[in-house]
Amino acid sequence: MKRRLWFSLIATVVAVIAALAGNIATSNAPILGLDLQGGLSVILAPEEGATGDDLLVVRDLVRSSLERSGVAEPDVRVQGSNIVVDLPGVKDKEEALRSVSVSGIVELRAVVNFTECSASIPAVSTDETIADGRVLGSDGTITVDGDPADEVTPPVEEESIGFLNDEAKTSFRRSAPDPDADPDAPADSDPVGEAPIDLAPTPTPTIAGAEFLPTLDGGALCAGPSQASGEVFERDSASVQLGQFGQFSVSVDLRADGEDAWNGLATQCFNRLASCPSTGVDTDGSGRPGQIAIVLDGIVQSAPVVNVPVFDGSVSITGSFTQEEADQLSDVLNRGAFPVQVTPQETRTVSASAGGDSLRAAIIAGLIGLALVLAFLVAYYRWLALVIIGGLTVWAMAVYSAAAFVSGATNYALSLAGVTGIIVAIGVTVDSYVVFFERMKDEIRNGRTLRNAAPRSFNSTWRTIWSADLVSIIGALILFSLSVGSVRGFALYLGITTMCDLFVCFFFTRPAVLLIARSKFMVGKRAFGLEVASS
Amino acid sequence: MSRGNQIASSGLGRLFRGQTAVDFYGRRRIGFVIAIVVLLATVGSLFTRGLDLGLDFEGGDAWDIPASEIFGVDEAKAVLEDNGVSTNGARIQRRSSDTTDLITVQIEEVPQDNAVQITNAFAEAAGVETDDVNFSFTSSTWGGEITDKAVRALIIFLIVVSIFISIRFEWRMALAALAAMAHDVLVVVGAYSLFGFEVTPGTVIAFLTILGYSLYDTIVVFDRVRENEGKYAGVRMPYEDIVNISMNQVLMRSINTSISSIIPVISLLLIGSGLLGAVTLREFGLALLIGMISGIYSSIFVATPLLAGLKSNVGRKARRERLTGDNLRAAVIGSGVTGRVGATVGSADGESNAKGASHDDDVKTAAVLEPAGRLLTHPPRPRKKKRR
Repeated sequence: MKRRLWFSLIATVVAVIAALAGNIATSNAPILGLDLQGGLSVILAPEEGATGDDLLVVRDLVRSSLERSGVAEPDVRVQGSNIVVDLPGVKDKEEALRSVSVSGIVELRAVVNFTECSASIPAVSTDETIADGRVLGSDGTITVDGDPADEVTPPVEEESIGFLNDEAKTSFRRSAPDPDADPDAPADSDPVGEAPIDLAPTPTPTIAGAEFLPTLDGGALCAGPSQASGEVFERDSASVQLGQFGQFSVSVDLRADGEDAWNGLATQCFNRLASCPSTGVDTDGSGRPGQIAIVLDGIVQSAPVVNVPVFDGSVSITGSFTQEEADQLSDVLNRGAFPVQVTPQETRTVSASAGGDSLRAAIIAGLIGLALVLAFLVAYYRWLALVIIGGLTVWAMAVYSAAAFVSGATNYALSLAGVTGIIVAIGVTVDSYVVFFERMKDEIRNGRTLRNAAPRSFNSTWRTIWSADLVSIIGALILFSLSVGSVRGFALYLGITTMCDLFVCFFFTRPAVLLIARSKFMVGKRAFGLEVASS
Repeated sequence: MSRGNQIASSGLGRLFRGQTAVDFYGRRRIGFVIAIVVLLATVGSLFTRGLDLGLDFEGGDAWDIPASEIFGVDEAKAVLEDNGVSTNGARIQRRSSDTTDLITVQIEEVPQDNAVQITNAFAEAAGVETDDVNFSFTSSTWGGEITDKAVRALIIFLIVVSIFISIRFEWRMALAALAAMAHDVLVVVGAYSLFGFEVTPGTVIAFLTILGYSLYDTIVVFDRVRENEGKYAGVRMPYEDIVNISMNQVLMRSINTSISSIIPVISLLLIGSGLLGAVTLREFGLALLIGMISGIYSSIFVATPLLAGLKSNVGRKARRERLTGDNLRAAVIGSGVTGRVGATVGSADGESNAKGASHDDDVKTAAVLEPAGRLLTHPPRPRKKKRR
């Protein structure tokens, strides 16, 4: 028993110190929020004719896209006629631009025979930088939700989709615009419906606006003119589902006012009209229905085959997706609801909004407060306060390490509110010692020896602390998983401080007090205002 | 035996030794009256004065002023103060890139005339033409979506916590804990409304912190009530007595914890915002201070009396008046040990803690008054009585 207590005590201290040393060695520190440290700011300019309401919608969409992509607690607002995005904890301009390039309008275009397009690939430069992880299968089929019969349609063979160009295979990638470019220059996306520059001589194209568009896997498709935009989909309704055979599918709801546009296109494709011809032969030899290309910024994200002529309310896209690909397609469909196109213009560094001194002042004030608390506890609990000092030190190191680790992994910034929250958490942490020691005091006063009182007191204290802290942890979990923005950041730090409290209470305070109670250390020393008699 | 067994003569000494005998339940009406007054004041103030929502909620005005050697964040702050605009809710930042270097000032919306005046003042202070100072409106950053999601998350949290407390303790405790929490949040919201403090996203975080603190504190107190309930299960103790005993037992803990929690916050207020001049800390500090005091107060004077009120009509009617004075004191001291208070008379060797044990002749009361000695000498387990 005694050996186990020593083991727990020493292992805890060593583990916490090792975690702290690891964080310091890798200079891993919690990211500080915009109010404490500033960050980078990106100005997004909307296209002409955007109304104020459009901009507010874009603001919300940009923020939720940023949160989805892991940039926590951005500050997004409409200022004048632009959207200003402040990003905490981002140092690299490229990274800032990449993280805000979340807009872009999704076009829905019919896939046509490649003879309709010019022989050359339209101008998409091949020397652009890589936007990470944007690889998506271009194959897939569309079915109406709840119609399982259509799900067995085999995925389209890649080669049958359209024109494949060996040269183009390697390097069609979407990119963030060059931040050093002239801020007034337009983004590199292809304007909607622009005719290709070089028209092929044979055979004569009959569909105006048809052009080659690169696909994500490096191929290319010949797509007809844009017939609808991502606005036909309900905002934020796209989600990934796991089918019963382990295949992923993406389903998205149609907006009431967008259903006609979508169905208009779907009917053309299903009926294999000239505007959306069959692009291949099915396994049973019949002509396969046409495909709808889902295009974002001139890149085909997916080109599923349409299996039903009329969709009612929602659309499900099935195919040989990996989960990552399905997630990306779902993101694309969600972002398709941007009412206007916005273009990143310029990055600026932003200074701390709360004034540079605030953090220093909060830390100094917090430390002085902590010192006063410890002085009070020493005056009150005398020698037992040693345990509190040790425990709070371990707690503080554990909180710092956990905060550094979590904010490195999730990008959650520590704002001034978070710092004050941690200062409040000192009180809650000290409470576990107070509850424990007050209980011991009662037991000793009633005639128990310290050695006898300590484990009994711990058992009842542990129950109390556990119940009370569990409420905080439940709160942290629920707020973290369901809310956004700074409320989420609050939940994170509430969870960290509470977990550390429980951890230290069980693995440090318990062995420390029990060992002291067993040893001769306390004999004859004053604690709780009582002489501790020899046992 | 140590002197801890004697009843201290001074009130402070009794507090220190856990020998207090305050009749909290008897004074519950004071707590309720104060709670109702606070509630009315808050609701009244919310209707008449409302809350001053800050820049992040309502948007405001923004200026972009070219930064230079003579014009920086501090100068911008000075210009605002000269024009009678509070810099408390203002956000002044330096925004710079390779080609531009600007001071961006955002404040809550001011009338058009003032805005023009401030624009001119900025231009003058920065030594540039008025046209070089860019004035625009800025929207809120805290979209309705954030509020919606936070409120939804909060409601789900409260439901889950109620279920948790109902399972771990009982539903009346859940109700009382939520009432105390609502009381605390209302106190703080009321203070914000009355004093006209600006509500920022940080304030929302402070509200949430208080909410969590209040629940935590109440549960710690309720845990003791629950424990004593079990302890007195054999002796048909009136619930008011259990509540009173528990309150007195946790009193020292509540005071110690309050001191330990409040000292850092006061330090934040006095040293952080006072001496070091970090104004942003002031409102946080104030909100937290009010909320924590209210949280400690409410768990003793709102939650527990409410619980006793809810419970008093439940179960069998107690046969005697509730304990007060020295009888209560004896019970407080006596049940401060782990174990169970039996229904049999105490053994002869237990030295009497109960100075005023002459209260009534009920055998069970005597058992209440001297439990510690018996518990520690391990009396035979009392036979379970048949329920009547």
